[in-house]
Amino acid sequence: MDEDVLTTLKILIIGESGVGKSSLLLRFTDDTFDPELAATIGVDFKVKTISVDGNKAKLAIWDTAGQERFRTLTPSYYRGAQGVILVYDVTRRDTFVKLDNWLNELETYCTRNDIVNMLVGNKIDKENREVDRNEGLKFARKHSMLFIEASAKTCDGVQCAFEELVEKIIQTPGLWESENQNKGVKLSHMEESHGGGACGGYCSVL
Amino acid sequence: MAADSEPESEVFEITDFTTASEWERFISKVEEVLNDWKLIGNSLGRPLEKGIFTSGTWEEKSDEISFADFKFSVTHHYLVQESVDKEGKDEILEDAIPQSMQDLLCMNNDFPPRAHCLVRWYGLREFVVIAPAAHSDAVLSESKCNLLLSSVSIALGNTGCQVPLFVQIHHKWRRMYVGECQGPGIRTDFEMVHLRKVPNQYTHLSGLLDIFKSKIGCPLTPLPPVSIAIRFTYVLQDWQQYFWPQQPPDIDALVGGEVGGLEFGKLPFGACEDPISELHLATTWPHLTEGIIVDNDVYSDLDPIQAPHWSVRVRKADNPQCLLGDFVTEFFKICRRKESTDEILGRSTFEEEGREIADITHALSKLTEPTPVPIHKLSVSNMVHTAKKKIRKHRGLEESPLNNDVLNTILLFLFPDAASEKTLDGTTSIDNSNLPSESEDYNLYNQFKSAPSDSLTYKLALCLCMINFYHGGLKGVAHLWQEFVLEMRFRWENNFLIPGLTGGPPDLRCCLLHQKLQMLNCCIERKKARDEGKKTSDNITNTYPGDVGKAADLLGPDHRKDTDKEKGEVGKSWDSWSDSDEEFFECLSDTEELKGNGQESGKKGGPKEMVNLKPEGRLHQHGRLTLLHNGEPLYIPVTQEPAPMTEDLLEEQSEVLAKLGTSAEGAHLRARMQSACLLSDMESFKAANPGCILEDFVRWYSPRDYIEEEVIDEKGDVILKGELSARMKIPSNMWVEAWETAKPIPARRQRRLFDDTREAEKVLHYLAFQKPADLARHLLPCVIHAAVLKVKEEESLENISSVKKIIKQIISHSSKVLHFPNPEDKKLEEIIHQITNVEAIIARARSLKAKFGTEKCEQEEEKEDLERFVSCLLEQPEVLVTGAGRGHAGRIIHKLFVNAQRLTESSDEAAAMAPPEEELKRVGCPEERRHNPVSDFPAPAGRELILRTTVPRPAPYSKALPQRMYSVLTKEDFRLAGAFSSDTSFF
Ligand SMILES: Nc1nc2c(ncn2[C@@H]2O[C@H](COP(=O)(O)OP(=O)(O)OP(=O)(O)O)[C@@H](O)[C@H]2O)c(=O)[nH]1
Ligand SMILES: [Mg+2]
Repeated sequence: MDEDVLTTLKILIIGESGVGKSSLLLRFTDDTFDPELAATIGVDFKVKTISVDGNKAKLAIWDTAGQERFRTLTPSYYRGAQGVILVYDVTRRDTFVKLDNWLNELETYCTRNDIVNMLVGNKIDKENREVDRNEGLKFARKHSMLFIEASAKTCDGVQCAFEELVEKIIQTPGLWESENQNKGVKLSHMEESHGGGACGGYCSVL
Repeated sequence: MAADSEPESEVFEITDFTTASEWERFISKVEEVLNDWKLIGNSLGRPLEKGIFTSGTWEEKSDEISFADFKFSVTHHYLVQESVDKEGKDEILEDAIPQSMQDLLCMNNDFPPRAHCLVRWYGLREFVVIAPAAHSDAVLSESKCNLLLSSVSIALGNTGCQVPLFVQIHHKWRRMYVGECQGPGIRTDFEMVHLRKVPNQYTHLSGLLDIFKSKIGCPLTPLPPVSIAIRFTYVLQDWQQYFWPQQPPDIDALVGGEVGGLEFGKLPFGACEDPISELHLATTWPHLTEGIIVDNDVYSDLDPIQAPHWSVRVRKADNPQCLLGDFVTEFFKICRRKESTDEILGRSTFEEEGREIADITHALSKLTEPTPVPIHKLSVSNMVHTAKKKIRKHRGLEESPLNNDVLNTILLFLFPDAASEKTLDGTTSIDNSNLPSESEDYNLYNQFKSAPSDSLTYKLALCLCMINFYHGGLKGVAHLWQEFVLEMRFRWENNFLIPGLTGGPPDLRCCLLHQKLQMLNCCIERKKARDEGKKTSDNITNTYPGDVGKAADLLGPDHRKDTDKEKGEVGKSWDSWSDSDEEFFECLSDTEELKGNGQESGKKGGPKEMVNLKPEGRLHQHGRLTLLHNGEPLYIPVTQEPAPMTEDLLEEQSEVLAKLGTSAEGAHLRARMQSACLLSDMESFKAANPGCILEDFVRWYSPRDYIEEEVIDEKGDVILKGELSARMKIPSNMWVEAWETAKPIPARRQRRLFDDTREAEKVLHYLAFQKPADLARHLLPCVIHAAVLKVKEEESLENISSVKKIIKQIISHSSKVLHFPNPEDKKLEEIIHQITNVEAIIARARSLKAKFGTEKCEQEEEKEDLERFVSCLLEQPEVLVTGAGRGHAGRIIHKLFVNAQRLTESSDEAAAMAPPEEELKRVGCPEERRHNPVSDFPAPAGRELILRTTVPRPAPYSKALPQRMYSVLTKEDFRLAGAFSSDTSFF
């Protein structure tokens, strides 16, 4: 494997069926758009190495099926994810309305509380937009997520979305560090050393 | 300088003084450092505020330089201050007295509770120290001391640095410093005397004044007045009459017959010894003038009761033994034990003796292909009996580690359902007695990855913790675990749900062991449902009322059971113990299906052959949807529940899936591997909806992939026309493929997606092979969780804000550490240490409250003041006593000392019988002689004095400059630290 890869990040893509999760991922990893992409069964998996600010990061991206029935399976993949991309279709309001459910699920199944979330409004190339950019923005702000609009078809915003997410993860202390690199958290020093000669000069009289 | 000269051990060697090269190099290095740190010139700060030495922040900067090959460290200590606007002041400052010299006279920070000794002695806000770098090194010979001091002097002169520069001489523990400070035409010499034995004249004010004056050698008469600050510190060690409130744990009470189940859910708390060892009372006369007060070797005006300022410090016992900390620490130690349960208890303890199969060699294989144990009613005594017998058998006459009473009590505590004669039904046994399930505390398991505080897992952790501490240590732990595993197998084989676990699939937020138990419960539920189905269909009266409803619940809220159904559909393959591959997913059928059966047969439409198929396994109608081909109502089928998974299984699975790679074939294979559920659902759908097509299925399963459009037909009416989405229409995509292979088979006749038999055996096997160390690692998060809750609970009684803060830190720290799969021992130890620490703080608070009698205080206002005072004692290094000896707290402290004195007095009487020489020595000591035997206070443990004045030196016409001398006398030593300034311009 590449030696200069800083870390492997686990990223999860979720959202209603048909919003274009798999298409976004395909655009990001292979830079293509395949209208013949089948609906995802269970989960799919892709890898890509990117470099952000000179740091190389290997992304292991899990693409989940939005289908109601598969959803009992997917929560298990939330485990250990450092970043989550939540996708809706700007031309289908119902996929936007359902975002709350997805956030609930995230909250329930995520194992860490410092996970970085990104909201992506997809299919902006299409004419019949039903969800305004501002609505997406508002939703993201309310839930402290990153936000971007994109199109898997025209490539708009896709690269940027992933890079932005990775950058944020790297900036979040403790999130990307593996346990070995993870430095112990310093707790406040409640104890004082008493007397003795080894106090570096800072002592009380007695 | 140095009063006693040490033998000349050559600690650092200077080869050649005459060439002076090393020396010069050393000086230039010192200069370089001073320049680097920008300590050149005068930088007057603002006047020192009262108490700033304690409340402000001190920082230090270090560098290393060497003299030949002897290494010194140079350290700049300074009080962090807001920078003062220097603009425009420069001219005025040109020949101002350096800051440090001015600070010598400042009285706002005398006797700081904690400070660098040079700060305490000289009142400096800033200074540089040159000391041997290695702790053991020392500059001992006088010539070398002088050499260093002259280096300092030259460096200061060359650079114009006005910060005092000290060199540390002699052994480090002696804290001997000499130094110098230079200003324009002026210089202060810092000198020191350090003695073990105190010359008599130095023990009182008048003697010290004499030294001070002679040292200044001031030519003026009369001498300007000397200002005096005095502090006496008294130590109280005798708390005898205030018994430490903590009761040591009564182990017998816990073992006795009275042990309530509750005791096992609790953790002990508190220090076993008094965590407050000493109280230091400092009585201060901050501002006296010579002549006002008399203190000589025969008489003293310095009565502590009358001192204008009192302040108090407490000395905390180092690492007092604390129960909770010990408890958790001992449990953590199990993590490092290597022995297996068998090794601890004797071999083959897991052999199923109940079945009376003699051949021990089969013991292992039995684990993988078990047969049910024919015990129908569970009673704890029965269980205990069996296990004990087993242990006896393998360990001869030796006693089993846990006695019957203890074991019974624990098992009843863990499995309260076993006590009642009623059916063992897991749902009733979660008791939410302590915490509402929405509270932050309750959800702590989420952060700690432990288990809910009312769960079986959590209780088990606490029991093991207690067993380990009080009842047999590691052996007891192994024994209880063995019993626990037997109980798990018993429950699996007899369809008794495990209590204290929330239903549903394993909760991935909990620890793995908890997940495993939940998994086992899932298996028991499924098996039970299947067995119930078999029983009802065979018309066997259900011996366990209430269980059937439970089984039906399993299948979803909409599902109703019908006990009359399923007759004749039962095959041999339903036997629970048959080869699992032949096993079918079984669920009870529903009334809908019956109705459907009857109605369907009469209707027409759709392809003929389909109509002839009897619909099976319907759950309920799907709204108003009808099948596209025949217009029949569209039914949602009964489907198989997806397989529950524990995190290790998931890890395995996702690894397998990830290994397939990212190629198209890999992706295809991955989808196929996960399509079992899709296929099963399609088959169920086909069975429930004869005559259906893929479009029908998609409308239920993935409605967004069925696109409906309003079109206008030939007659001009608006009709809905629908078709599959583009991606569903792609030829030979997996959906189409699966649809084509799917046969109309209802869920109950399909192969099981989840093989509960195999999964249960896997769990039981896993449990049986956990060593006590593994077990302790699994459960440590629960124990830490419990300990944090305990500490929180105890804190809430005392309300100590600093502790609240630390607990928050512990929680956030723990949640970071415990979320990783294998947390480092060091980090775990640190968490445990922090918990112990908090326990000690709370114990200290209690000790102080008891000593100061805050509870006994009747007047509300006084009580509040006293409580505030006590909490300050815990959090601040030194606390001022309002009203000194006359205030409320002051009177209490006074009484504490009086009581302690009385005790010493009575022991003094005893000492009067001692040999006369002893007595003589005692009287001979000036301290003792001067001390009034009936005094309320003991002799001061520390006497500090600061003498200050401003006089011209060396000549009467020289500049008047600050002079200061500090002296401290304790039991062990005596020190004089003088700073004497002189005018150098006219010499
Ligand atoms: N015009 C347009 N169509 C898109 C875009 N992204 C996806 N699509 C189409 O939307 C449909 C669904 O895309 P998928 O990527 O399969 O959707 P998904 O979210 O992965 O769906 P599931 O796997 O069922 O959860 C496909 O037909 C895509 O061609 C886009 O940016 N623009
Ligand atoms: Mg997809």
